[in-house]
Amino acid sequence: MQLEFDAFHQAFREEIRAFVRENLPPEMARRQKQLSFPGNRSDILEWMRILHRRRWSVPNWPVEYGGTNWTPLQHFIFERESQEADAPGLFRGGTHMVGPVIYTFGSEDQKSKFLPAIREGRFSWAQGFSEPGAGSDLSSLRTTALLRGDRYVVNGQKIWTSGAHLSAWGYFLVRTDTDVKPQNGVSLLLIDLATPGITIRQIPQIDGDAHLCEVFLENVEVPAENLVGKEGAGWTYGKFLLDNERTFSSFIYWNIRELRKAKEIAQRETMDGTPLAQLPTFRARLAQAEARVLALEWSVLRVLAQEARPHKLSVIASALKLRGSELQQLITELQVDLLGARSLRFYAPSETEQLQSPDDAFWPDYVPGKTGIALITRAASIYGGSRQVQRNLIAKHAFGL
Amino acid sequence: MDFSLSDEQVLLRDSAERFVREEYKLDARRRLVAAGDPISAEHWRQYAELGWLALPIPEDVGGLGGSFVDLMVLMVALGSGCVLEPYIPNLVLCAPILDRSPARSLLGAVADGSLRLALAHDEAGDRFNLAGPRTTQATAAGDGFLLTGAKTLVLGGPSADRFIVSATITGEPACSLFLVHRDQVEDQVEQALSRYPLIDGTWAADLSLSVEVSADALIVRSDRATALLDEAIDRATLAYLAEAVGSMETCLEICSAYLKIRKQFGQAIGKFQALQHILAEMFVEAQEARSILYQALSQIGADASLRRRAVSAAKIVIGQASQIISRQGVQLHGGYGVTDEYPISHHFKRLMVIEKLFGDIEHHTTRFAGTAPGLQAPDSSPAA
Repeated sequence: MQLEFDAFHQAFREEIRAFVRENLPPEMARRQKQLSFPGNRSDILEWMRILHRRRWSVPNWPVEYGGTNWTPLQHFIFERESQEADAPGLFRGGTHMVGPVIYTFGSEDQKSKFLPAIREGRFSWAQGFSEPGAGSDLSSLRTTALLRGDRYVVNGQKIWTSGAHLSAWGYFLVRTDTDVKPQNGVSLLLIDLATPGITIRQIPQIDGDAHLCEVFLENVEVPAENLVGKEGAGWTYGKFLLDNERTFSSFIYWNIRELRKAKEIAQRETMDGTPLAQLPTFRARLAQAEARVLALEWSVLRVLAQEARPHKLSVIASALKLRGSELQQLITELQVDLLGARSLRFYAPSETEQLQSPDDAFWPDYVPGKTGIALITRAASIYGGSRQVQRNLIAKHAFGL
Repeated sequence: MDFSLSDEQVLLRDSAERFVREEYKLDARRRLVAAGDPISAEHWRQYAELGWLALPIPEDVGGLGGSFVDLMVLMVALGSGCVLEPYIPNLVLCAPILDRSPARSLLGAVADGSLRLALAHDEAGDRFNLAGPRTTQATAAGDGFLLTGAKTLVLGGPSADRFIVSATITGEPACSLFLVHRDQVEDQVEQALSRYPLIDGTWAADLSLSVEVSADALIVRSDRATALLDEAIDRATLAYLAEAVGSMETCLEICSAYLKIRKQFGQAIGKFQALQHILAEMFVEAQEARSILYQALSQIGADASLRRRAVSAAKIVIGQASQIISRQGVQLHGGYGVTDEYPISHHFKRLMVIEKLFGDIEHHTTRFAGTAPGLQAPDSSPAA
């Protein structure tokens, strides 16, 4: 075992820190710090463009497509340092989801059309997987895409298509063959969201925001060349795409950053003049959260360093997802508890981005946005395979139950 | 012991449940919140007509002289609909203070719905220590006082006609209470009243005070004010907890119905044992919540130390129950749980507000531990 970063990775950390320090616009960092989740989408794309100038916008891609040769630990350092400095994240729908599917299974035309656009942060993508009747049970999806000449005609309805109203393109799982077993007739289709027949409805959320969307598709004509890979292989590609992010679902970098914010609040909020961080109850809760975050961080490092393990990687991914989402909820609840009754004020999403004074007696800058994030973070144990589904997967794949 | 309701209480409950059914369907509640008005004048008129505004007010000033148990029956029923009206700030927090002041004749106007009140007490840095000294100052000015300071989280403030303002008279060790007209507040400072919604759609305000008031605005002197406030806040806290019990019991109904209609993997999701166990766990929490509510009700008229102990116990148990029930309630709904379009998210936010108002679980745990046998600090007196 070698349990420290070597000199090479130490130097790399300094390189990332220097880059972020010199290139991250302060206003963007401020917005990101206040807003946190899901982040301002135009800031994310702008940050992609800034990263692109350094060829770091798609670090996980092969070099031939504009990526890097980074070691897993370099990726870890890049993500961690970016979050530490309140930089927006990568646009993962492009960099980690649809991008790798396109360069692995897509046609040459698709590669030349879409990969540069993702790399340069030109527009964002939406994911059309879930349907009203197909959530945890994704295999029962019913949206159809039937080939008519050189086009698919798509009919159906998608839900939880985050950011669809701000996205130019979407990658959709659709049923191209209705006569075979549910898993076999599914294909992956790239759809221009400006195509006639598409209606997008923003769903009002518990936090007052509305970036989750429903997408209605009525006789939407999609050129057949937008099919990714082979017809009927959509399930494989969909899994590949979700599996690509084994460690990210731990939200480790996010958890580290939000815990730091919780500690900042605990330093600034007081009771009878004493900072909350000095009170035994909050002190214990913060310390326990930190210990758990440390454990999660090392769980992620073990995966990144490709430790030999007795279980399938998917089982570890489920464990990371379970603990990561638990911590997301625990830490945001802690932030809200630290704010006390101040946490009860409603801030519209547009207000959470506005500049707030750090010295406001009632509503200092660390108040807006925190409760909204805690509210929407209830979804962390629901999306991407609910807590219950993850537990079933562990029981099945780790223990054969 | 007898936990059954009287005939009058059954009628009261039924009328409140009918009101919730007719006025607080999900769409109607969402429209009310979206409208952005701090109060529905129409609903407040109905509250008056149904006798709810008169309920806790003494008969000799135009009220019905109802008991605190009557009030609880009403609050549990209204809690099932996550109602938005500032009933507790007016009738439970302010009315009893007014009742024990020279201004008690105003209660008739409260009972008929023509006068609304709000308590302006919270200040920066309070963190639930509502018995602490007030930085808002009352200095002698002419025959009366000049009130200067800033108040926050004034519940029902945006729709109040008068404020009960706590302020420290120069040289006195504790605060006194002043009755101040809204116009007086708004006329003297630009943007003196800043209003905002809370996450559950109810409204609060910050007040920036620089107001000259006459001598008769002083309605409760410092020798009585702190004890009176303490009692009013405990009673309001308990009324909110009754609402929380109504809300939680409704969450169970909502979730059980959802588990029966939502299908995944070819069957109703209620068939999955993992989800059955969650609902069963929520059921246990709701049972305990109602029990601790009754415990606190039994002590609400007792002397201050017993009352405080009982209210804090209820606040702890109901706070923890509401966290479990609201969080698991959302989880059982999947993605729909985090939308505004299903009632569970409305209950979630209402329960979160109640959990934090007038002291969170942390605060009440400390207060309760200070009175629990065997847990007191060696130097604290049992009555503290």
